Amino acid sequence: MRVLITGAGGFVGRHVATAALQAGHIVRAVLRPSAPTSVLGPLVDDPALEVATLDLRSPVGLVDALEGVDTVIHLAAAKSGDFYTQFAATVVGTENLLAAMGAVGVKNLVGVSTFSVYDYRALRAGALLDEFAPLDTDPGRRDEYARTKLIQEELYRDHAHKAGNHVVVLRPGMVYGRDNLWHALLGAEIGPLVLRIGSRATLPLTYAENVADAMVLAAEQIGGGSGRLDGQIINIVDDRLPTQKQYIAAIADVAEAPRSLPVPWPAMQFATELLDRGNELIIGGRAKFPGFMVPDRLHARFKPLRYTNAKAKRLLGWTPRFRLDGAIARSVAKPSTRSSTEPVAAAVDG
Amino acid sequence: MPLRAAVVGTGGISHEHLSFLAGRTAIGDVASRVELWAVADLSAASAAYAAKTFGARAAYTDLKELLEIEQPDVVHILTPPDTHVRLATMCLEAGADVICEKPITPSYPDLVGLIGTADRCHRQIMESHNYRFNHAVEEMVAATDRGELGEIREVTIRIALPVTDPDTRFGDPNLPSPIHAMPAGVIHDFTTHFAYLLLHLAPGVTYDRVAAAWSRHSGNQLFRYDDLDALLIGDGPDGPVHARLRFDARSAPETFTIAVRGSKGMAETDIFQPYLRMVRPRTVGSRLSPVANHLLNGASLFSSGVRNFGNKLMQRGPYEGLHHMLDLTYRAMASGTDLPVSHHDMLAASALVDALLDQEATR
Repeated sequence: MRVLITGAGGFVGRHVATAALQAGHIVRAVLRPSAPTSVLGPLVDDPALEVATLDLRSPVGLVDALEGVDTVIHLAAAKSGDFYTQFAATVVGTENLLAAMGAVGVKNLVGVSTFSVYDYRALRAGALLDEFAPLDTDPGRRDEYARTKLIQEELYRDHAHKAGNHVVVLRPGMVYGRDNLWHALLGAEIGPLVLRIGSRATLPLTYAENVADAMVLAAEQIGGGSGRLDGQIINIVDDRLPTQKQYIAAIADVAEAPRSLPVPWPAMQFATELLDRGNELIIGGRAKFPGFMVPDRLHARFKPLRYTNAKAKRLLGWTPRFRLDGAIARSVAKPSTRSSTEPVAAAVDG
Repeated sequence: MPLRAAVVGTGGISHEHLSFLAGRTAIGDVASRVELWAVADLSAASAAYAAKTFGARAAYTDLKELLEIEQPDVVHILTPPDTHVRLATMCLEAGADVICEKPITPSYPDLVGLIGTADRCHRQIMESHNYRFNHAVEEMVAATDRGELGEIREVTIRIALPVTDPDTRFGDPNLPSPIHAMPAGVIHDFTTHFAYLLLHLAPGVTYDRVAAAWSRHSGNQLFRYDDLDALLIGDGPDGPVHARLRFDARSAPETFTIAVRGSKGMAETDIFQPYLRMVRPRTVGSRLSPVANHLLNGASLFSSGVRNFGNKLMQRGPYEGLHHMLDLTYRAMASGTDLPVSHHDMLAASALVDALLDQEATR
């Protein structure tokens, strides 16, 4: 199978390209013009790797890049910049990709979304967040990333409804791995300090190599004739998820934690609700506060919830290869220079 | 009956135009004068988002189709500069008035041609000179008009922005901004601001001596230029006037400062962090005026700090002048009076930009 991977030069994309090559597929990696092929590391020497250089915000070059492709894994998205910057990269980029897939006749798509699309305020603390959890239908006060990913999912749904298309959408939780051990679910930055909001909430984590496996499994099965993945939404989190406290303890020896101030979740929740009510009452909700002081965004990052990967295991036949300790060890180990197709079984946990 | 407005181009600046048309700015409800009717963008998703968010009745990916079906009274053209002449011509010939983002045309002759098209079609066309209508600039002009600064001798306008940073829209190497194709490259996006502000703050001056140094200090091949240092000397009703126009991509902080110096005093502001500092004769007499200026400007600076913090909290950016300009425009259209930016204003600004660019051609 020839699989085109957008965002292949990114943190997750490199792992997905590696996993696809290890599984014996031909990988066409989409890199942006400014990205040197060296971002792919040792993969560049793999004879099964092809590189397509383009920017998804423009349709130029997309049709050519899709020639001969069986399945697309669409990872590319913007995580920073203002709303219009993220809209162009995430929404217009997806729009261009889907239009080109239609023109070339590429029918199979693994669309990568995010846990950010859920409506966290609609869930009570301790509830199970699974694929049936409600989406945020009024995301005006969520961050740009959540807002643009929600629009992107609408594009996926429209595409899935067109005859002959096979679309599965994966929603990974927070992906961690090399250079990405400290993440936004652990605290909110205030200048040089980090507010560590809560300590007992379970983290919806997935290790980069684990989620990469899930994406490749989805790519192998979508459009396979059974139709069992068509139109499915699948959440991706690892087994045995740690709490914030457990995770911070696990990375304490290997990742430099920023100076932090612990704040209990209930106190922060109360303070932001109070601020929000005041904002609504006094100035009609027009004041804009830092993200962690907006209830919608605070809940999305720090609310204690439960998670499941049962559907991913059932539909994809996926099992996370690496547990927390092993994943952290791999994240800080010296980068491998071996060819991508060499086995990694020796490093697998358990 | 309110005018039907359409917006073509739903990128970043459209947020300001659409917010105004939807009645969501400090101006408030404008529904009696104008209604957001339709939007268009090459991206269907972008057009659909804008229509849904701001309440337009229809979204298109083809301006021609929008013009034929919706027959708007006014079209806001907010697309990249290299498309302005073509799209504005389409709108005028379809019977719509045009409000266009700057620079409306790449050159003075192009603007003469476009105004000719508007006249032939009996339609109105106006370029956005938005910062002219910012409160601080209007206060400076009012002080000048009242003679508080005396006769105008010098105007300095300085913009400092890190445009070469690859994380900015101008510095993005992956999908280069269309503005790079303009004669002055990225700086072309700012020359119109320089020109109309200078002409507005020191009216009636003809600049017959223009020296402009265009540079590319960054060495970034994406950029034609990233630095402009221009000196202009002209004759006005009150004698010679000097002007300095400066675009700088290397210095911090980000600024858009304007300073006007006259025979009696000076005034300065910053569009990005508005304040108004005025050093001029006070009623306490010449001996105490320096002290009065210090105290009054200190108080003014403090209150500006508080106001700017409030603006940040309330998500008010430097575009209050744009909203004000659009309000004046639709009021003028409703009453049949002159638009706030005249053809003369547009032509004078364009001629000044061309004069700066002539220096680029002969350097």
